[in-house]
Amino acid sequence: MGVQSLHDNPPRKSAATATKGTGPFADLVGIVLRPLHRLIWANPERRARKLLQFAEVEAAGGRDLVRAAELTADPVLRDRYLRHARDEARHADMFQAQGRKLHGKLHEGDANGALGEWIAPGERGIDGLDVARESDATLLAFLHLSESAAARDFARYAHVIDDDAATRTLFQRILRDEDQHKKYTRDELFRIAPRRSRRVLWWARLRRLWKAYLRFATAFAGVIAGVVLTLQYFLLLPPFAWLAKRAARRERTGWISVDERARR
Amino acid sequence: MKILGISGHYHDSAAALVIDGMPVAAVQEERLSRHKNDAAFPLRAVEWCLDHAGLVPDDLDAVIFYERPTLKFDRVLTGLLQGYPRSWRSYPKAMKNMLGEKLWVRGLIASELGISARKVRCIEHHQSHAAAAFLTAPTDDAAIITADGVGEWATLTVGTGHKRPDGSTEINMLRELRFPHSLGLFYSAVTAYLGFAVNEGEYKVMGLASYGSPTRIDEMRRLLRATADGAFTLDLEYFDFLGKVETGFSQNFVDLFGPPRRSWQPIDLHSEEGRRFADIAASAQRVLEEVIVGIATDLRRETGLADLCLGGGVALNGVANARILNEAGFGRLFVPSAPGDAGCALGAALYADRILFGHPHRTVPDHPFWGPQPDDTALLRLALEDGIPVAMVSEGELIDDVADALASEKIVGWVDGALEFGPRALGHRSILAAPHDAAMRDRLNRDIKYREEFRPFAPVVAAEHADLFFELPPGGDRLARFMSGVFPVRPEWRERLAGITHVDGTARVQVVDQAMAPRLHALLEAYGRRSGIPVLLNTSFNLAGEPIVNTVAEAYSTFRRCGIDLLVAGQTCVTKPRVTRVASLETAA
Repeated sequence: MGVQSLHDNPPRKSAATATKGTGPFADLVGIVLRPLHRLIWANPERRARKLLQFAEVEAAGGRDLVRAAELTADPVLRDRYLRHARDEARHADMFQAQGRKLHGKLHEGDANGALGEWIAPGERGIDGLDVARESDATLLAFLHLSESAAARDFARYAHVIDDDAATRTLFQRILRDEDQHKKYTRDELFRIAPRRSRRVLWWARLRRLWKAYLRFATAFAGVIAGVVLTLQYFLLLPPFAWLAKRAARRERTGWISVDERARR
Repeated sequence: MKILGISGHYHDSAAALVIDGMPVAAVQEERLSRHKNDAAFPLRAVEWCLDHAGLVPDDLDAVIFYERPTLKFDRVLTGLLQGYPRSWRSYPKAMKNMLGEKLWVRGLIASELGISARKVRCIEHHQSHAAAAFLTAPTDDAAIITADGVGEWATLTVGTGHKRPDGSTEINMLRELRFPHSLGLFYSAVTAYLGFAVNEGEYKVMGLASYGSPTRIDEMRRLLRATADGAFTLDLEYFDFLGKVETGFSQNFVDLFGPPRRSWQPIDLHSEEGRRFADIAASAQRVLEEVIVGIATDLRRETGLADLCLGGGVALNGVANARILNEAGFGRLFVPSAPGDAGCALGAALYADRILFGHPHRTVPDHPFWGPQPDDTALLRLALEDGIPVAMVSEGELIDDVADALASEKIVGWVDGALEFGPRALGHRSILAAPHDAAMRDRLNRDIKYREEFRPFAPVVAAEHADLFFELPPGGDRLARFMSGVFPVRPEWRERLAGITHVDGTARVQVVDQAMAPRLHALLEAYGRRSGIPVLLNTSFNLAGEPIVNTVAEAYSTFRRCGIDLLVAGQTCVTKPRVTRVASLETAA
């Protein structure tokens, strides 16, 4: 499981519930990002792709939770994780069904593009977390934060889907589960680590920040490397490409014997 | 001498340990990491192999990587240069990929294991495949064919192998085909076109093919043309292995065959579109069979050898394997339990032992069970903690109880002994069910496997009765040992074996002999006494998107999440309470 995973979305009533407790900063971020979200979700093709993408994320999240259930020694947590995993699988099915439905209404080749591929922090769940290396407490803390972030993000999305009642309703249904997940992860964290639960939560927040930084740094490094390699491709490679193409023209098709291979 | 073999970085990483010429452990990384087709460096697999043998990395005499990264880099770079300027998008990605880690494998292995880089050696990809196929097979002299997507440069090789009376071993490659002319890449491009995941969904193409007719075979033959010397060449106008790495097919391919299927589109075999996809699958399958049978026939004529060892991912194509056995003239066809890249870990270690270090040949045990053993007591603990009915019974009683359950149409999760090495569940991590009714197949698809209707389930039969139910050609039982061949179900039994008989009347049967899997064999016999048919439906113990289970805890969580009625591990038997089963079905609904 290492993986991107669980969570996502809450909706409208969510909008109120989900942002509750996240503070004025989160509200401000939501307002600032609203035009971007509106842009992303306004396009039906992109919306369909996002929903299908969410389906994959939910399914991966479910597998993460199954792994957690397999590893924990606590029977109560095992049961909770398995139930949670079942919810995630159901969410995946729901997202997939709605994504397919939307997609089926569209013509091939409708706009999509990079915006549709973008994954918000809340959609990543416990991304990159190796469940096998986490204690029950740290995993619960991560799950709790993931559910919260996902709920917040999806509440924002539900806000900007004006003309698609079915998708908005889908988000709202899923949000009800997300609220349950937030609650049980917090309750269980306080049950199994009553003295250090707050510390574990803060530590998990810091780790999420660190992961966000690593994601950004990796992406940034990737862009820089991509630019440098692309320049190299166009500036340095043409003569070698000419030689390679000339050699390719001399290649004959069919078998190459071991002797011939040795000569190459 | 202690030799560790490693495969990885492409798909399905694995590690295998050979001590004094004998395999002692082999496992795929995915079974431990729980990421299906895990391609990461197989550190968990390495750790498990060493732990299993009680070794630390310093104890190893050699570590063998299954391919030569520099040759692979050569091929990647040359391909990109030849594709200039069309390859401009692929170039940065490929370079980051290769230069980031893959090119420096020796250093990576030395660093990960904390050993000297001098202990790390690399052999060629297809040498690893050939060794995995030949050195594990119970034959002394055999022709060898390896075929997959691509290794370094080679995509298909032919040769011979000999185990001499003096103990020396030879693997002689005669000739090869080179990238981009590849049977594996051809089939993968069709797999991608049909909307399935490459390196994962190829067997779905094979299953789908049975529902179609090869009406597009002439077009397929244009794509994959025979050459005068008995080989083949791909028409690169229809493929794009550089610009569209993920799919491999070009716009010309789409123009020829029509729009590709989107991965999330269901295949409705009653629709025109669904039939089009099935026909394309059937045509691709037929062309692949023609080519590989032709190559095998030529090799048989050339070498005069009676046995053929087949390795590489293409060897997972059971329909093609059966045709080779039937038509190429070989008496026996050996396909290892892990013919794909995972098996290269074992092949590389054996190759090093026999060929690089010149140790005398030793007969490798003829079974696929090289992985971790389950902790049978864990099931008792888990079930007691969760308040699920559990029983520990004697061996005889357990076999009888399970056979009774199967006869009353219960679905059984079966965990027994060391994990299989390779993609097939061969009786140690299996879901078993009665094979008689198509409704059982539908139930498995609906409540457990959640997969497409066109994918068949495989049967397992006791060796003594295989010929009664299946039309096995001479050598067929050997090919079916690791479920590597697809053979006809005898017409008179098809109705009573409807759960495992594919639409074309065939089945990918596993023939079990008592020595290889005694408990499964006993269960088959016990079931036969009840039903009159010692055949069971045998499917891998996993859910969609997950690797086959390894531990009892994984089996138990799978049992909890799907419609399995009974879970057996060792002498422990857990029954799903009816209320739980109903609840789970309601949830699924």
